[in-house]
Amino acid sequence: MRIFQKTKFDFIRYRKIAYGISLVLLLAGMVSLAVKGLNYGIDFRGGSEVVIRFEKQVDVAQIRSVLDAAGVSGTLKQYGMDRSFLLSTVFDGDTAQLKTLVTNALHEKIKGNVHEIVRIDAVGPSIASDLKWSALKALLASLAAILLYVGIRFELKFATAGVLAIFHDIFVVLGMFSFLGGMFPFMPLEMDQSIIAAFLTIAGYSITDTVVVYDRIRERIQGQKPSEYERIFNESMNQTLSRTIITSGTVLLSVFVLFIFAGPAIRGFAFAVFSGVLIGTYSSIFVAAPIVYDWLRLTKSSVRLSSNKAA
Amino acid sequence: MKNKRFNLFLIVVIALVSLWSLWPTWRDYTFSKQLDSFGTTQDSLKYVLSHRDEIEDARKKSLKLGLDLKGGIHLVMEVDQVDLFEQKAWNKDAKFTALMQNVRANAAKSDARVIDLIVAEFKKENIRLSRYFYDIRNSDQEIISKLEKESEDALSRAKEIIRNRIDQYGVAEPVITTQGSRKIIIELPGVSDETRVKNLLKGTAKLEFRLLREPEVLVRTLETINAHLAQNSSAPQPAVQSVDSLAAKVETTPAAPPAPNVATQPAKPVSANPLYDLISVAPDGTAYTTAQSRELVLALLQRGDVQALLPMDTELLLAAKPENGRDTQKLYVIYLVKKTSELTGGVITEAKATFGAEGVQPEVLMSMNSEGTSKWARVTGANIGKRIAIVLDGAVYSAPVVQSKIPSGNSVINGIESLEEAKDLEIVLKAGALPAPVRITEERTVGPSLGADYIRAGIQSLLWAFLAVSVFMLLYYKKAGIAANIALVLNILIVLSVLAGFNASLSLPGIAGIVLTIGMAVDANVLIYERVREELSAGKSLGSAITQGYDRAFSSIFDSHVTTLSAAFLLYTYGIGPIQGFAVTLMIGTSASLFTAIVVTKEIFNFLLSKKLMSEKSFG
Repeated sequence: MRIFQKTKFDFIRYRKIAYGISLVLLLAGMVSLAVKGLNYGIDFRGGSEVVIRFEKQVDVAQIRSVLDAAGVSGTLKQYGMDRSFLLSTVFDGDTAQLKTLVTNALHEKIKGNVHEIVRIDAVGPSIASDLKWSALKALLASLAAILLYVGIRFELKFATAGVLAIFHDIFVVLGMFSFLGGMFPFMPLEMDQSIIAAFLTIAGYSITDTVVVYDRIRERIQGQKPSEYERIFNESMNQTLSRTIITSGTVLLSVFVLFIFAGPAIRGFAFAVFSGVLIGTYSSIFVAAPIVYDWLRLTKSSVRLSSNKAA
Repeated sequence: MKNKRFNLFLIVVIALVSLWSLWPTWRDYTFSKQLDSFGTTQDSLKYVLSHRDEIEDARKKSLKLGLDLKGGIHLVMEVDQVDLFEQKAWNKDAKFTALMQNVRANAAKSDARVIDLIVAEFKKENIRLSRYFYDIRNSDQEIISKLEKESEDALSRAKEIIRNRIDQYGVAEPVITTQGSRKIIIELPGVSDETRVKNLLKGTAKLEFRLLREPEVLVRTLETINAHLAQNSSAPQPAVQSVDSLAAKVETTPAAPPAPNVATQPAKPVSANPLYDLISVAPDGTAYTTAQSRELVLALLQRGDVQALLPMDTELLLAAKPENGRDTQKLYVIYLVKKTSELTGGVITEAKATFGAEGVQPEVLMSMNSEGTSKWARVTGANIGKRIAIVLDGAVYSAPVVQSKIPSGNSVINGIESLEEAKDLEIVLKAGALPAPVRITEERTVGPSLGADYIRAGIQSLLWAFLAVSVFMLLYYKKAGIAANIALVLNILIVLSVLAGFNASLSLPGIAGIVLTIGMAVDANVLIYERVREELSAGKSLGSAITQGYDRAFSSIFDSHVTTLSAAFLLYTYGIGPIQGFAVTLMIGTSASLFTAIVVTKEIFNFLLSKKLMSEKSFG
């Protein structure tokens, strides 16, 4: 079977349209981030979360009123599993008390429907701020590492464009999280540790995709005149297009499986990686390589890449 | 030729080592299947006894499941280092208290070392550390290094004590580690009674024997405080504020409906006897408060202006347990005790929970070492007829009257509600006191039923992802797809066997990492196969197209693996807990795919080529 074999798309010619689309996506994301902000999970905001599962179907309003009457503060929402609810409240260091309170109230008021507290997460404010810092450090350090590595293996222009593409991908996904956050009950899209893992995965995937295109460009560009660059860039992207699509296909397949089967704890992560892989595939073709092309064109410089053997 | 044989040898060895490393996991699985199949417990017991060594060995070497899959508690506890340094200071004036308050506020916000925060705070005010710590002749640097040592010691001692407590409680395979300068991470798999475990971990277990002051002094002191509160018009203000902040807490104790005096107090004008609204004094000089007012009284006793009114070297403490008053009211007795303790829990060598003389009241018997015994004899001998309070973590358990000199070094704690509580006391007393209070700052508990759900979800994700990707590879690349799929199976085997071999555990995020690896590991094969197709369509022979394909794709594969690995490595370095599990499987999977996708598939093609089992059509 062959798809996308021997294609002749003129990617470079349409790059301005792609720049436009990317800018719109980024701006929309920024606006949403500024207006709506992000939906922080307890990892970053601190607090307690209790997941309660019932044996039989029960109405969320009923449980809410029972808990309210018992003096439990906090919000109760449907959780992304059958007959389950998520109670979020403040962190006070002692979840045992909260658990007793909830158990007693539900036991007394909702008879004939056994409940179980299946999960408790509590994160204190100092831990939350630690987590925020290490998340930021991990992201920045990985971007720096990628910049360094690609800079050594290729050229600084290539490396910079690759990192710009990563920024692009992460910001678009971040914008989606802000815009879609809280819209779907089965997927609250909260920012937590797993989303940071998703961002690093996206960064790794996006640069992989970009490097494959770069690699092909490097292989073909040696000794060519700058006037040939447009043709070489286009041909390189077309030649790697099949691989780009197939690989993003297999990754999307497995992430889609995660989204469907792995349960609510992984769903936000799967969503982030899924959309990140889509955006990352797009950006390696329409953002990274075109930026390198434009950079070379505007600075009237030529590429001095020599070795194409791995270290 | 030699090189080729080496590759083949390597593949066989790696495959065998992987299988060997996963063999105990398989054994463990079949054993538990076998045990489940028995009809009676007798049969299974017999089976366990006859196969004990094998079963235990398999269990020990099998792939461990993470807390989220097995169910259990993950706790992060913080040792209160600010408190520790406060204990170390020999001079605690108002300036010092103010400085330490700033330090405490900063410490709550960041993960920096408390000693650094103290140094920064002292620098800002231009005060030498020697004014408060150690010897006045010491330089700041000397004091800092001494305090650093203290803080390290305190952390490792706290860790050991917590380990002792958990070991004595009996949890299978607890993992206790320290993180940074003040955190202890505790992982307890499969604990059912988390409330009890947490109570066991929380207390400092600081046991003190303190002399009680005479009832007249207590009554006089309470009078002074009352007069002060009534006179000081601003005095009730903080009390009212604390009512607001306490309202939530009061609500969280279901046993106690909000007491009328708590609810109405903010609205009431300043009472003539503010203290006696909360505290009652019996004719015999015993002071007590109700369960509802307990929090308020505790808050009141914490206030600086109230503490200033107490007689020299004394402290007001509440009873640990309520006594039953009239109309089934729960009453907490208030004691005025000396601040300096006669003896502390450090001398306790043995503790035992039993039932008391009447056989209904649980109590804990303690014996002391020789130093404690002689001290105890002296203290009891000198104070016959007086009362000595037994104080644990700032609450009075009992305050018996000394009948005679006790030369044996024995003592007893009573006033305990249940035998379970007595047992817990026994554990914490034997393990010793923590050097400073600890607090739970993070908790993640997964119930066993949710863990079972996660396992099911994880296995389903793995199967479906493997199925989807391998079927796709077969359809798209035909025969070459088979080679890629064999490589994929070996890759998953390697990931699992490395986890089992290094005693790492598999968590739900870890499974997500494997699923993601399934999708990404075939990338190397996709790169190679696409290249081979290109070379074939450029008119090359099959053999040279395969060689060229592998050669030319290698640079891309190498670069992309390095970038993915570095992202995963940084995630591992900066992430904690669950996220590290994801990073680990992603790292192992990515590194393994460098081997499986390149070396293994190449060998398969070499074999097929030599047997003439491949054609130009084999790449789809």
